[in-house]
Amino acid sequence: MRSPNHFFAFLLGALFLASPAVAAACPQHFFGGAEPTLTNPKLAPKTRQICYTEFALLHSGLTRTSLWVAEHLTPRRAKGARALNRLNNFHADPNLPPNERAELSDYVRSGFDRGHMAPAGDMTTPQGMDESFSLANMVPQNSENNRNLWESIERAVRDYSERREVYVVTGPIFQGENLQALKGRVLVPTHIAKAIYDPQSNIAGAYLVPNQPGNDYRIISLAELQQLSGIDAFPQLPASVKQTATSLPVPQLRRPRGGARSVARPSAEENTQVPSPRPSTDGFVGDILDAIDQFGRRP
Amino acid sequence: MTKKFQPFADDSASLNIGDFTVENGTDKVALYGSVDVTRDKAGLEKAKALKSVVDAIVKTLGQDKELPDESGPAEAPQQVKNPFA
Repeated sequence: MRSPNHFFAFLLGALFLASPAVAAACPQHFFGGAEPTLTNPKLAPKTRQICYTEFALLHSGLTRTSLWVAEHLTPRRAKGARALNRLNNFHADPNLPPNERAELSDYVRSGFDRGHMAPAGDMTTPQGMDESFSLANMVPQNSENNRNLWESIERAVRDYSERREVYVVTGPIFQGENLQALKGRVLVPTHIAKAIYDPQSNIAGAYLVPNQPGNDYRIISLAELQQLSGIDAFPQLPASVKQTATSLPVPQLRRPRGGARSVARPSAEENTQVPSPRPSTDGFVGDILDAIDQFGRRP
Repeated sequence: MTKKFQPFADDSASLNIGDFTVENGTDKVALYGSVDVTRDKAGLEKAKALKSVVDAIVKTLGQDKELPDESGPAEAPQQVKNPFA
């Protein structure tokens, strides 16, 4: 246990191997206060949990990425999000030992985006926004995917959370004998998944997206996600809920591309995507450099 | 803390103008997302913000005496064993 840094992040060397649930350090981010558990023991070495103000994550020193990132999105929180026009800074995570973490230089000229697991767009405060730019919250993500399909999935989940609270667990999946690694250090996931649980409707499911260009994705059950990832996203849920793949909100692609549409989803009433008017951001002054001075300043 | 967005000066700055993102890099500046410039004062502010970012990029590149024709492809990632397999 190291001392909390100035971000008030608590770092826990996770030494458990899918052991009985210990009390989570920041239960507010998890359904039932229980953090995701690792069901594949090979995931456990060099893992460290970081609690941030608007999300929590488990970082792996083997992949130099997070393994899971957990958020609790609520209608109240959704109202506060999306209104932050500011300058942010990607940064190596100060809570991690340098030999276990990704550095900015790992991603330079890699051809991969730094893909947020907890989206910046979910953050409601300058501090939360800043924390979301930690490289511990990133995985190497195919650029085209990050900027189109994945962004639309993030938006669909955020829109859904305007009406109903949801617990979200997002993370990379590493499949196959061999993997790509940026600079031989940061492992490139083969897939990225976002698991959702809506406690009000008692429904759960996960988006499974290959880490490659295109708009293909699948909706899978949490049980299938656990098989693929070795992670139980919501340990408190009964098996019956985990076995069912509920139809999740359909991502509305801003730039529909010919041909690559995925399987049509059964549309549920909550899938109607009505873009809400963005709250006007007063004070976004004309000259951007002044604006950045203003917004980029820490409160 | 970087206080200004200076194109190509760092690999960390990320600016958002609505849902439009400008990510700085020493090798490239990435601009992506979507922004509605509405026919009102808020739209004008957004348009000015976009313009000043692009102006800054053009200015920085234009002042570079050693600007190559092409900067070359991305570095290929290495192959490693999957530690979780």
